Amino acid sequence: MIEYETLGFMCGIEIHQQLEGKKLFCGCPTIIRKDKPDYSIRRELRVSSGEMGGVDAAAKHEQSKEKHFIYQGYHGSTCMVENDEEPPHPVNPVALQAAIQICSMIHATVVDEVQFMRKTVIDGSNTSGFQRTALVGVDGYIEVMGKKISVPTICLEEEACQVVERGDDKDVYNLSRLGIPLIEIGTGPEIENAEMAKEAAAQLGMVLRSTGKCKRGIGSIRQDVNISIKGGARTEVKGFQDLKSIPAVIEGEVKRQLSEIKKGKSVQPQVRKAEPDFSTTFLRPMPGADRMYPETDIPPIRVGDITVEKIELLDDKVARLAKKHKVPAEMVRIIVKKDMPFEDLVSRYPRVAPLLVAEYLVSVPKEVRKRFSVEADPLVHAEDILGRLGKGEITKESVCDILAALGKGETVDFSKYTAVDDSKVDAVIAKVVEKHKGAPIGALMGEAMKELRGKADGKTVMDKLRKSVG
Amino acid sequence: MPKDQFSLHDTVRVTTKDAVYQGLVLPSGDATLVLKLDNGYNIGIDRKRIKEVEVLKKAAATKDPTAAVIKDNPSLPTIHLLHTGGTIASKVDYATGGVTAYFTPQDIFSMFPEIRGIANLRSELIGNIMSENMRFYHYNLLADRAVKAVKDGADGIIITHGTDFLHYTSAALSFALKGLGVPVILVGAQRSSDRPSSDAFLNLVSAASFIAGSDYAGVGVCMHAETDDDSCIVVPGTKVRKMHTSRRDAFRPINCRPIARVSHAQEVEMLSEGYPKKMAMPKGFTAIRFKEGLKVGILKGHPSMHAEEVLAYKDFDGLVLEITGIGQMPIIAMDEHSKENSRIHDAIKTLAKKMPVAAAPQTIYGRVVMNVYSEGRELRSLGVVGDYSDMTPETAFIKLAFLLSNHSADETRRLFSEDIVGEISPRTEEGEYLS
Repeated sequence: MIEYETLGFMCGIEIHQQLEGKKLFCGCPTIIRKDKPDYSIRRELRVSSGEMGGVDAAAKHEQSKEKHFIYQGYHGSTCMVENDEEPPHPVNPVALQAAIQICSMIHATVVDEVQFMRKTVIDGSNTSGFQRTALVGVDGYIEVMGKKISVPTICLEEEACQVVERGDDKDVYNLSRLGIPLIEIGTGPEIENAEMAKEAAAQLGMVLRSTGKCKRGIGSIRQDVNISIKGGARTEVKGFQDLKSIPAVIEGEVKRQLSEIKKGKSVQPQVRKAEPDFSTTFLRPMPGADRMYPETDIPPIRVGDITVEKIELLDDKVARLAKKHKVPAEMVRIIVKKDMPFEDLVSRYPRVAPLLVAEYLVSVPKEVRKRFSVEADPLVHAEDILGRLGKGEITKESVCDILAALGKGETVDFSKYTAVDDSKVDAVIAKVVEKHKGAPIGALMGEAMKELRGKADGKTVMDKLRKSVG
Repeated sequence: MPKDQFSLHDTVRVTTKDAVYQGLVLPSGDATLVLKLDNGYNIGIDRKRIKEVEVLKKAAATKDPTAAVIKDNPSLPTIHLLHTGGTIASKVDYATGGVTAYFTPQDIFSMFPEIRGIANLRSELIGNIMSENMRFYHYNLLADRAVKAVKDGADGIIITHGTDFLHYTSAALSFALKGLGVPVILVGAQRSSDRPSSDAFLNLVSAASFIAGSDYAGVGVCMHAETDDDSCIVVPGTKVRKMHTSRRDAFRPINCRPIARVSHAQEVEMLSEGYPKKMAMPKGFTAIRFKEGLKVGILKGHPSMHAEEVLAYKDFDGLVLEITGIGQMPIIAMDEHSKENSRIHDAIKTLAKKMPVAAAPQTIYGRVVMNVYSEGRELRSLGVVGDYSDMTPETAFIKLAFLLSNHSADETRRLFSEDIVGEISPRTEEGEYLS
């Protein structure tokens, strides 16, 4: 057990979230391709000095490797901008708006004028040799485990290429990811322990997703963690597989720094990679301010006039919907996470109980998958099922069977699923009991349900059977 | 907010209505104060919102780096660099907002260390000129400096140049420096040299390798062969054209093959024959000059053209017509809707009497043949020259200006269709189109 308080532990996290839509500086789609590339180009990069004349340590480190780079591109997904053969187009206004939106959600001040910078990156992950990045907001905060954690910076930047293969003399990169808008949020160093770091990352992820503009899926969000302890140095750890691994990797890094200090070695500021076994390995020296100089191809943008509407946080939305419609929060969480039109359906089918609508969206498809091995989209069949349910044309017991049948593409005779009145149920029971005299009650139930499935509630049938058999 | 409380590169703390920023003062406009924050980011602060600026640290005096002297290697050729201030060997000076050229040999060696093993360097800054602002004066200046450099012992000249009008300058120097006996290679950069991905590095180093490793002695342009940082091509100065606004491989040979390809490993492969070979500069050699006040125009034939467009050039010394197709202009009235075309015919006739009017193809590729269609034959009978030439409109323009600078109008008309420095190819081969 690590005693974080006594170690002078300082920790901040950085979140990188990809946005959906178009790329930040061109009209290419934000689709990451894995198929066979249409073309490839060979390039080299050289370090250059920043605007104040200095050369960045991280850039120098990469330069010393003397590698060249192969970039793989796709017709339809990459253009002259990714190829570094055409200057950037004006910034994607939707992405800029999203960044400003996020600032407002975490109480940050938006700068008056956004200036895109070139952050020197010559490991080949950017064809230009720099990443375009702009500071959009400052001085925000979030609340985690009852503590206020500062968010000094909110940046909008372009995503880098994805590495395909690393070799001794060359690295191969896929161009399709390059230029996807990326929101970078960094917290201050007030995080007190590993668990709080994980919670802060989860909280920021939730804020980002609340905008509805984020990309989803593996790799669409990445977390970096900055760690230091007394006598050690600031380490940036990148490449976490998931949120759950954050505490273990932090513990590992703290232990590494402790053992270095014990051996009397000086701990250097470094960027390190989180490994699957929760240890960290050296990536490159910590970059400094010298790596940044202005992107002269993009004029500064006055953002004072851009207004954003207030967006409800996903956590708040879950709590609100659960309370209003009396639906379990866990079920609402799934609906909100998948961005399903729950409220829309509830208002469109006012005679269907909200809980039933929620079940129809969440648990019914799951059951259909389990019982019938069918993937059925409840939204496609909403009118057929919720519409008829509202009009009383089908029973709620029949929903699962109908969705399965529709999901298989079958034509459904809905009249089969009309509710029957008590006298019909009584008649069927009488007939079954008569025909199978002396049979155990389970068998009788099976026979009765053959005729009544989807038309009468199973519990009612069982009750009546019990009464009848005595 | 009075500006004089702080100065450039001071470290300041700025308090606005809703935030406090700390950083370095950068060149700023009247409405916005630009700060470089400690994390390297620049931001703009609306001056109207600033409540207070506190100077935390005054700017440090800028260092004057004393450059180390580099000794010549007697076994290597000496290359003289003439900088005209293009993006090729420059960096943005953020203090003034201008562009500073790297122009001492030490600067060049530190930026392009590979050159040290290829040649000894002399370096001279001609000026900071965007190539699109150049005038005939600058051709004379460059040609004279090149001749002087050769007199002073240079074995080759590299001219760093903005790319927009680079092919005009290369054509001009081809004529002005005919017979120099020493290679003159122009290089540019399509991505400025302050970027890690700049094409300047390969272009400049390849130009040096070409000068050191070939017997070519004319004017050429050395730029990327493809989008890859793989090799460069050297193209004759009169047969090259910028064919793309931004790509690295924008400079293409037109109606010819490249002279050579310089590989990534700096090996030179000659691809053409019959070029001028290196020799000692003839005694008393001087550059042939352009008349600086000369008025020469370029006019492109287009649909619904008006005679006034042609007549706008009536007080000029010469005009290049970018003819349509293989040798036509809209000069025939086909029906009542195209009567203006007869006026264009008469306007060209008027001009061709007053001055040399020369044809060059707006298709860029191919040869002018005015005998195929009646419009072409008519243009020829009006006195338009240039038949059977395959010069780009830009080379035709420079050649017309060069001839008018040194010959009578009649002599110019005669010489225009005669090859002087390889600008007209006697024959065109397969593989010389879109290559």
